[in-house]
Amino acid sequence: MSDRPQLAIDGLTGGYGDIVVLSGFTATVDPGSTACVAGRNGVGKTTLLRLVTGALAPVAGRVRLGDAEITHAPRHRRLRLGMGYAPQENVVFDDLTVLENLTLAAADRSLDRYDELLDAFPRIGERLSQRAGTLSGGEKKILSFCRALAEATELVVLDEPSEGVQPENIALMTGIIEAEKAKGRSFLIVEQNLGLIEVVADAVHLLDHGECIYSAPAGADVRGELSRRMRL
Amino acid sequence: MELIATHGLNFLYAFATLALVVLGLAVVFGLLGVMNMAHGEFVMIGAYSALAVQQAGLPFLFAIPAAIAVCVVIGWLVEWGLVRHLYKRPFDTLLATWGLAILMREVVEAIFGREYQSVDQVLPGTFSLAGVEYPAYRVVLMGIIAVLFGALFAWYQRSNAGARVKAMVQNPALAAAMGIDTERLARWTFVFGVTTAGLAGVLLSPLVRVEPFMGLDYLLSSFFILVVGGLGSLEGLIVGSGVIGGTDIFLSALFDKTSGYLGVLTISIVFLWLRPNGIVSRL
Repeated sequence: MSDRPQLAIDGLTGGYGDIVVLSGFTATVDPGSTACVAGRNGVGKTTLLRLVTGALAPVAGRVRLGDAEITHAPRHRRLRLGMGYAPQENVVFDDLTVLENLTLAAADRSLDRYDELLDAFPRIGERLSQRAGTLSGGEKKILSFCRALAEATELVVLDEPSEGVQPENIALMTGIIEAEKAKGRSFLIVEQNLGLIEVVADAVHLLDHGECIYSAPAGADVRGELSRRMRL
Repeated sequence: MELIATHGLNFLYAFATLALVVLGLAVVFGLLGVMNMAHGEFVMIGAYSALAVQQAGLPFLFAIPAAIAVCVVIGWLVEWGLVRHLYKRPFDTLLATWGLAILMREVVEAIFGREYQSVDQVLPGTFSLAGVEYPAYRVVLMGIIAVLFGALFAWYQRSNAGARVKAMVQNPALAAAMGIDTERLARWTFVFGVTTAGLAGVLLSPLVRVEPFMGLDYLLSSFFILVVGGLGSLEGLIVGSGVIGGTDIFLSALFDKTSGYLGVLTISIVFLWLRPNGIVSRL
């Protein structure tokens, strides 16, 4: 593995129109590691991911993905550059079938790269011909999670992947993330589920009012520390 | 009996040609939200492509690639230089494409003149269908349109490219995050829409008068079909073409052409009033 971080965010600032929601966020994600971003609702977590994935243009700051400067790269190019993404809301194309959702970015409808993921989440595999809009909220999140993981990207960005997902499936997600990290993939995860953070995070960042108020390598006390600070 | 068969075939002919003409407008408006007021002018460009090919002494079939090439180039330039800057601004798009329509008419008038012209009959003679001698070219044209729609429907429903278009329409932000170049896809969707209009112009050119203002009639018919059938689906386009074409043919046969046109207008007004989303609507 190279010494260069897989993702480097430097002083990222941005928001919506004249309203700055995130200010001066800086973090790195090394190959084979996970950075988790936590915080209460409305503190800028999703805005951070929207800035990183290109849905919003930053006012200031830089984003590097491996060797590539991607601060202003078009959104659709980021997948090819190595950044997979599963958003928090509107996570699937409701009018497309589950199979079409899974293979949209591929050249064909082959599910070879989904073998392990569909073994872990067989309910998705059983519903391939069904319209994705008929899935439950949790199933949609799993579909989105599988789609982001199946792309051969060095970095996977997940926005609250456990939201609305049953605990046993969260445990499966956690196991898959750990296994992928062991293969050298990196993750940037916005999450409020402290249990998931505790297991997968190598570094945690706590946002409040658009600013990072706490950054630390994950340790035994991460859950307690985050709980205490998020209550403040 | 023979009269019923004749009117039945006339209905099928009107239905098929209307569906072909409106296809591009339905694609561009249904998928991109762009009301292309120059749609009829692309039909006109197709017809003049056939006329130009005829004047050059080339066979009629050369008109098809010629019209496709001309419409692809103009459509690409229009999307790149005009329409892409006005997405999500429907009124501005409407005005801009109306201006484009005027420009296209003026340019064609400057090149070919304003007088009515005609493209020679391509396939003279008749086919015997259901006991009726029906013009051969019309029968072939209906067959071509049926095959075209069948292929398009299969492509849209089954191909990954069709799924990407649907994804772009439903959630462009997520589609872009999935690696789909939505700007490029929108551009080629627009080009496809105007090119089908040009193709319609070529295929209809031996049957209609060719003149710079011919597109206006097609634009109006297309609006009526979209109002009645509904936006955003091939099913709506086909249902709308059937209702509008059927009403026109039935009332024209029963009374006169003016009654047919009045019937079409009345139905469109009733739909705008009571069911503005049309019979079949994705929206």
